[in-house]
Amino acid sequence: MGLLGDTYTLFLREMLIFKKNMTMNIARSLMFPLIFILVLGSFGSSPKNVPIAVVNYDNGLGALRLINLLQSGNNVEVISATTQQQAMALLSKSTVAAVVVIPTGFTQSGGTDGSIYVYLDNSQPQSTAVASADVNAAASQLGAKTAVSSVGKPGIISVIANYAYGAGSNYISFVVGGLLVMVVSFGAVFTAGFTMLSDRELGNLKAFLTTPINKFAILLSKIFYGTFQSFFSAFVGLIIGLMYGATIAAGIVGFFELIWIIFLVGFGFSAMAIALAARTKQLQTYALVGQTIIMPLSFLGGAFVPTALLPAFLLPIVTVNPLTYAVNAVRDVMIKGFLPTATLVSVSAILLTFTAVMTALAFILFRDTSKQLT
Amino acid sequence: MENIIEIKNLVKKFGDFTAVNDISINIRKGEIFGLLGPNGAGKSTTINMILGLLSPTSGKIMVNGIDMQKEPEKARNEIGIVTQETVVEPELTGEQNLMIFGRLYHIPAAELKKDIDTALKLADLTDFKDAYAGTYSGGMKRRLETAKSLMHAPEIMLLDEPTTGLDIQNRAKIWDVLRGINRNQNVTILMTTQYLEEADQLCNRIGIIDHGKLIALGTPTELRQKIGAGNMIEVSVDKDDLQKVAAVFKKAGLEPKILTNKVVAAGGSKGTEKITELVKAISASRIAIHNISMHEPTIDDVFLKLTGSEVRDTTGDFQGGRGRMMMGRGR
Repeated sequence: MGLLGDTYTLFLREMLIFKKNMTMNIARSLMFPLIFILVLGSFGSSPKNVPIAVVNYDNGLGALRLINLLQSGNNVEVISATTQQQAMALLSKSTVAAVVVIPTGFTQSGGTDGSIYVYLDNSQPQSTAVASADVNAAASQLGAKTAVSSVGKPGIISVIANYAYGAGSNYISFVVGGLLVMVVSFGAVFTAGFTMLSDRELGNLKAFLTTPINKFAILLSKIFYGTFQSFFSAFVGLIIGLMYGATIAAGIVGFFELIWIIFLVGFGFSAMAIALAARTKQLQTYALVGQTIIMPLSFLGGAFVPTALLPAFLLPIVTVNPLTYAVNAVRDVMIKGFLPTATLVSVSAILLTFTAVMTALAFILFRDTSKQLT
Repeated sequence: MENIIEIKNLVKKFGDFTAVNDISINIRKGEIFGLLGPNGAGKSTTINMILGLLSPTSGKIMVNGIDMQKEPEKARNEIGIVTQETVVEPELTGEQNLMIFGRLYHIPAAELKKDIDTALKLADLTDFKDAYAGTYSGGMKRRLETAKSLMHAPEIMLLDEPTTGLDIQNRAKIWDVLRGINRNQNVTILMTTQYLEEADQLCNRIGIIDHGKLIALGTPTELRQKIGAGNMIEVSVDKDDLQKVAAVFKKAGLEPKILTNKVVAAGGSKGTEKITELVKAISASRIAIHNISMHEPTIDDVFLKLTGSEVRDTTGDFQGGRGRMMMGRGR
């Protein structure tokens, strides 16, 4: 039979248990993504009637046409301000999400090549995104060149701010991308490790060790089971996300790339879970340590907060965190719509190396069976 | 007779605590051997070494001619084990439990189905094979586990306190199963127990260990003879009176042992006369006798004689203390 045969037998056992608890497993897999998408997803739904302040120094026909365009939709609500100073005060109090300054001479320039100044408040990215998109749309309809500048740098025409997600992109795709990586890594740490600990507690582990199997089959079966279970949860999450409105910009190929990346994350983190569980006796200890490791990793991987926004001292963690690469690849697939082959290869290599290292660590920690006797 | 398990000068140390101290035992083919001793005496440590889960500090274990340390996987195939805790997977049916373990013992697929049916019959669980093991009673689980460990037809069966925590009825059922496989399939049985009665009734030979040392080895009859002729006399009195009663015993020419609530001594050849003498003397000292009895010596008495303490599964002072010590070693 050998290692693979023994692994298969133990994996079969996990699957029979999984099948027995099917309803529970589906419910558990549904719960996390649903709550997440409902809570985080609603932050991203495009707000309506975002207040913006317009300062009209021009008072010409071109300016009026611009304001009419802004008022025509229900994306923004235009508040008139007499001076730029007054408007900026509103912005600093977050009363408005953006300030649009139409300078004198805007109409004279024919409303075709004139500039307007837009100041954005970055503290509410969703509203700001709507305001920015709407102003850009109106201005480009007139042919005006717009430039966006941050608060505190008035008058400087700078490049359009680089948001975590494109101003016009689908925020729900952003949330679901992060969610998938989070669900699969959390799922792996908790299912794979917990079955190992409960088997140790119930004496199953000792019973397996007294059979003439290769003892590493126990570890491998647990890693495979963790991979399966976490992948299952993430897959359910993906389906829910797609039903909720997330899109995969890279299309059907992207779907398979996504599945591959999720699978590798599940594989790697199941291996990490088993390495952690190889010696841990108490469920509470395991839960605490697992939490302490996986929480920061998932947040520092950019699942919800773009890594670019993190302080510099956290960057080394970002760099060594395999989730960073997984999240980036998922974003490429879901939002940018293109995952370069080189990136796919490198992210696969990183995750597989992580898996191999963790599996080796688990094997080393599990070698001395006397540590398994409770 | 041929030896099926040979334990030679086995030593296991945890730090500076010696759990097993130079034990040598030969288990003969076809016998039921009982390893007896209080909690923390070193029974489980010995068993774990026989299973190859712990490596001995020194010494050697041969299982059916195979060196356990050199070829643990091969040696384990010779042994069926029933551990102290009942290990069945509650989320699997009885049949699935057997199937998984049959596969782990590498029973060929062609024979597995037949072996499962045989095991179910042996455990008297054929009618419940499709029920989840979690719904089984304690006795059913124990029987399932016993059948599970016999599926690969091992020559040796190793049971670590197989009946601890079971009621009398289930205990008797397990004894029947063990006697059956020992007689019919010629399986050698090595079991540990805290129950003297169990060892007395079931085992052909008994080894008593305490503080990691083998302190006695022989058939139950041989061990009983160590007490000397005659019956045991027990007198139960109030705690405060124990010393006085012991003095009375001594005056009567007996060697008393004081236990928690009674004084015990071997009665010798004139036990009946002694007991009358004792009752008279104790009554004369105005000590109230709660109970007085005479019985044939049991292994309990042997143990008492050899170690000066009772075997109990309650936590006596010395047992509890040693139990904690073992935990402290972070086993």
